[in-house]
Amino acid sequence: MTAEQKNHNLIKAAVLIALPVIFFVGTICIGRYSVSPADVFKSFVTAITGADLGVDEQTIGVVINLRLPRAIQGILVGASLAVSGACFQSLFRNPLVSSGMLGVSNGAGFGAALSILLFNSMVMTSIFSFGFGVLAVILAYLVGKVSGGTPTITLVLGGTIIQSIFSALLSLIKYVADPYSQLPAITFWLMGGMGSTKTTELAFSAIPMLIGLIGMLLFRWRLNVLSMGDREAKTLGLNVGLNKAIVIGFATLATAGAVCVSGVIGWVGLVVPHMCRMVIGSDNKWLIPAAISIGACFMVFVDTICRTITGAEIPLGIVTAIVGGPFFIYLLKKTKGSNW
Amino acid sequence: MKLMEVRDAAFTYDNKRMIFDGINFDIKKGEILCIIGPNGCGKSTLIDCLLGLKKLKRGQITIGGRSIEQMKPREFAEHVAYVPQGHKTTFAYTVLDVVTMGRTYAARMFSPPDEQEKEIARDALKQVGLEGFEDREYTKLSGGELQLVIIARAIAQQSQLLVMDEPTAHLDFTHELTVMEIVAKLVKEKKISIIMATHFLNQAYYLENAGVDTRVALINGENFAQMGRPSEVLTTENLEKTFNIVAEIVSDGSGVRKYILPLRNKR
Repeated sequence: MTAEQKNHNLIKAAVLIALPVIFFVGTICIGRYSVSPADVFKSFVTAITGADLGVDEQTIGVVINLRLPRAIQGILVGASLAVSGACFQSLFRNPLVSSGMLGVSNGAGFGAALSILLFNSMVMTSIFSFGFGVLAVILAYLVGKVSGGTPTITLVLGGTIIQSIFSALLSLIKYVADPYSQLPAITFWLMGGMGSTKTTELAFSAIPMLIGLIGMLLFRWRLNVLSMGDREAKTLGLNVGLNKAIVIGFATLATAGAVCVSGVIGWVGLVVPHMCRMVIGSDNKWLIPAAISIGACFMVFVDTICRTITGAEIPLGIVTAIVGGPFFIYLLKKTKGSNW
Repeated sequence: MKLMEVRDAAFTYDNKRMIFDGINFDIKKGEILCIIGPNGCGKSTLIDCLLGLKKLKRGQITIGGRSIEQMKPREFAEHVAYVPQGHKTTFAYTVLDVVTMGRTYAARMFSPPDEQEKEIARDALKQVGLEGFEDREYTKLSGGELQLVIIARAIAQQSQLLVMDEPTAHLDFTHELTVMEIVAKLVKEKKISIIMATHFLNQAYYLENAGVDTRVALINGENFAQMGRPSEVLTTENLEKTFNIVAEIVSDGSGVRKYILPLRNKR
């Protein structure tokens, strides 16, 4: 590697790390009660060390109790959805696949609806949606395995079958749910959002998201080889079945963790990986960190819009599509889709 | 020195019709075996079995005395590299990225192939005459260039045995000859062994003419009907029996180099 390339890589890495930090601080500053970046830092310091730096308590309250958890959630959820999408695209050798390919979103949606029907407890909703999200993927994987091995085509088929089964079950629950209390709760949950998350749920969901993110980062170069197709990946020396299962496992942990606290947020897992590919190239060594970084920024950005643009909060899923769609078209036009 | 030994190999998809049965051969260091036969004779199935992608019904394939069924993909890739019939591109990796994937088996658990491995990949690119292509996107190459990249990836594996499945299908004359020249050089100079399935029978003659240690295995029916030097096996009688064609074996001006001239189907 030449010195020039090394420098180039350093700059890329620096930008990928700096961007989410900027968005993270930015979203904490912005809101109906605006806080300066300096006060944000001071609030952090005060909260950690207890030192009085002259920031009033109301500001510290807003920063630490309201906006900080939400910013963390945005970063984790965006990164998880985007990077899982990137992984699945490589795994399935298909640029149109997103993080929900193996039914995790449909499973999670069903789990959440079932829990709303049965318990009316946010914690149970998180647990149920996480559990059913993971279950859906396991079922899809088992369906994909019927012919022995896990060839891509039967995995896709398995995913499609499980998706439709769970969406049918979801419809069934919606049909029997109480139309004045439970049905709106289900619908609202399915549109996705971060407004109602409690710190305990965030802590619960952060664990699978972090495990998934770190796992996918560590396995990222293998994704290049897996994307050559099963035959070639195996003859290149990779245990294809095992590596596929591991990548699917990490992606599922991350996605299910994200969906269980934020509801179904479409579009991020499809669009962000492509944005990254257009800018940074297809090599998963860079694409995966980029998807984590840009996914986090995108989600924080969209969530900031959701909670500030009107008096009431707009569901996230709506805005991701409205913001993401046109931006994607712009990128497509600019790069002429030349990167895949 | 024997690299690979195939003993009494048999395969069937449905337990009724054997695709092949009773196949025996050895591969020595520094020789090429061309597997030839009509469409649907089981060439590709045999290649899949040699690569461990399909399991034999009976018999066994060993490398250095070890059954390939006991080998992990990593260990197998160290001994055998594969050039597929045609590679379907996916994402726009750079040529160097793709060739470096040949080093997969040498990489450690979590770390991508390092600079040393990339150097091996660059050298492999040089061997197929694609210097300067390192940073090009492999999705934008011509079919011929793409095949050379895939061959470079196999060379980067630095294994002693190369299995090629119709490596010149879809290629123009220039690239077909380029591939043949690379193949001849690998076998003659680097003493690599190659098993190559091909429909271009003249390639066997080309290699024999180029002084490469070449054998031909003609599949007809369930097992190898004939195995030997191209000039012994690819005779007008055998071509007639196997492909049901009328052909002549002709010489070029030098009178030494021989080629097959297919004339017409036999009615």
